[in-house]
Amino acid sequence: MAAPPNALERPALRLLSAADALGNRLYGSRFNPLYQSGTIVIALLLVMIVSGLWLILFYRVGAPYESVLRISSSPVLGSWVRGVHRYSSGAAVVFAVLHMARMFAQGRSWGQRSLAWTSGIIALGVLIVCAITGYVMVWDTFGQLLAREGARMLDSLPILSEPLARAFTGEEEPAAAFFFVNLFAHIALPLGLALVIWVHVSRVARPKILPPARLTWTVLGLLILASVVRPIAMLPKANAFVLPEQVPVDLFAAFWLPITRQLPAGVALMFLAATTVVFFAIPLLTRRRGASAPEPSFVHEEICTGCTQCVQDCPYDAITMIARAPDSPSAARSAEVAFVDSDLCVSCGICAASCAPMGVGPPGRTGRDQLSRVRTFIPEEEVAAGRTVAVCCNRGAAGWRKELEAEGAVVYPVDCAGNLHSSVVELLVRAGAAGVLVLSCPPRDCWNREGPKWLYERIYNDREAELQARVDRDRVRVASASAGQTREAVAALRAFMKDTSALNLPDAELAADIDTICEPVPVTEDL
Amino acid sequence: MSTTTTLAGAALVVTATAMLALGSSAPLTLQRTPEAMIRVAFSARPERLETCREMDAEELAALPTHMQQSVVCEGRTASYKLDVWHNGTMVASANLHGGGLRRDRQLYALQEVLIPAGSSVVEVRMTRVDSLESGDSHQPVNSGTSESTMDPSRAAREADERRRRMEGEVPPSLELRETVVLAPRGVLLVTYDQSSRQLRTMRDPK
Repeated sequence: MAAPPNALERPALRLLSAADALGNRLYGSRFNPLYQSGTIVIALLLVMIVSGLWLILFYRVGAPYESVLRISSSPVLGSWVRGVHRYSSGAAVVFAVLHMARMFAQGRSWGQRSLAWTSGIIALGVLIVCAITGYVMVWDTFGQLLAREGARMLDSLPILSEPLARAFTGEEEPAAAFFFVNLFAHIALPLGLALVIWVHVSRVARPKILPPARLTWTVLGLLILASVVRPIAMLPKANAFVLPEQVPVDLFAAFWLPITRQLPAGVALMFLAATTVVFFAIPLLTRRRGASAPEPSFVHEEICTGCTQCVQDCPYDAITMIARAPDSPSAARSAEVAFVDSDLCVSCGICAASCAPMGVGPPGRTGRDQLSRVRTFIPEEEVAAGRTVAVCCNRGAAGWRKELEAEGAVVYPVDCAGNLHSSVVELLVRAGAAGVLVLSCPPRDCWNREGPKWLYERIYNDREAELQARVDRDRVRVASASAGQTREAVAALRAFMKDTSALNLPDAELAADIDTICEPVPVTEDL
Repeated sequence: MSTTTTLAGAALVVTATAMLALGSSAPLTLQRTPEAMIRVAFSARPERLETCREMDAEELAALPTHMQQSVVCEGRTASYKLDVWHNGTMVASANLHGGGLRRDRQLYALQEVLIPAGSSVVEVRMTRVDSLESGDSHQPVNSGTSESTMDPSRAAREADERRRRMEGEVPPSLELRETVVLAPRGVLLVTYDQSSRQLRTMRDPK
């Protein structure tokens, strides 16, 4: 079994499932922005870079406020571009936090995913610091407030001989050098961010970088709309000799400001540092230990044919091909054999479904394990009596299992629809099921990244290990529904049952030897 | 998708966008009451309290030429007490000493005090805490024979450097007393003017 959510993750997962279901209902799973939170952040970063490159043409470090005022008052120069730039930074923070919350709720924040989590936190921090430097660039009352608050906190560290806060007391105007350094940071940080994002996705195969084009253009359109309808107002110029009563602040970049202002500088700094440490410690707090830690996949070298399909399908690039040992008893099977890097394997089990001879997968979840489990299931649930079987991903089934059973279906939960071996489907059909409906998570919501994609390819497009041609395709269907989409899951089941009801019931072939049909490989007992 | 779903989806998107726009400029109240502020902010070089003596010819001869100097001084950097008074009441006090681990760098003062707007008498005093002990002096205490062994122009240059250093140091006592009228939310900056070696006030030029 894959690791179930722990006590920390469970409430977040409930909330996430409800939000996902609403998003799917309103926008469809393909355009559900919650499923695309990570890719939307990248799209927003690109928007920020392009709009920022335009704005930088008119920015002057010698007259920061005046140059921004010129931009803001000119529709030609692009007061709206400034709006797009600013709103996209706020939206990027929101979507980055949603992405982080999603990974946390789904238990994808520990183990082999710790690097992605840690780099994600760093990326979010860089994004926020970059936004802060952007506000300081304007040198209005908000920029001054951020600069003073930052200086106040940093001055509590006993490392600077001259307090930073003195730069903003009014003795002198901040020097152009200050704005130059700030501008440099504002430009250099996104470059660093690119590096961090590269690290962030370095442990996944075929990382999805951008959302679907329609979603990208919708997000951009909304940003432009917001910029035109509510252009960014120019605040008064920073003035050290006036105490403003109120300052409009960007809560996305400066959400911490209302809290830290109430605290002594040292305490405020400690508070921010402690919060950051907690986020970095999440992989340790959520790490599965002992029996609840899923074991990485392993390869039966005697069974492996060296076909490389598991290498191609692994969503985490955890499998490579290595040369077989010359003295290996299975050396004659192939020159190379699959090798699972346990430091990269997240135990998703996708490889179990990719292997036609069922020679790879996490312990207890290989194709052979799946077959033996379904063989027990078939008589227990009287599948041979022409019942419809709903093979459901555990995540989804947790949400609507009872409703499917109420419709008369037999629910067969699996860890992930993506590691469901096609032979299991074949065995269910050959055992006499009226039909097999595989209900996977929506493609972008797969906890194992590419489960539904490979499932679809294996069932419909003959991808290894494909559903054999001898299986009646009318009796097999793949659909998707998220945990909160009970109505959609039930509707998919009803439609499938209606379609299969018109078919003649097949003869049960309970004795079908799928292992042998798949690949005649002798398996020793100790396997 | 039904029309209702489409409309609901559009409404949600518009609401989220509006929240994004509103959240990016949410008003934060910094100061509810219309008080004014006295801000004392400056940096200055603290005095060196040290004992100096002239080196004799033998000592000078033991040193490489480029390290020879007629007068050598040993001592410490002074510390100060800064008090801020408003209408005869002390509203802030701080001990100031030079920066750095050896406390021999510039000293920095930064005190901010909220006071009622309107007419006020503001006093700022900075006094040296350390007393000048017997023997602490910038002047050489013994008369050696260095002048006979060192280039006279070099000795004069040394003396000039010592004089300039002393001029750059903050005086043992600074005091400012001024009656000011401060606008609500106005800031009165009290700073140190190095050229006149006195405290002075600055306000919004507008």
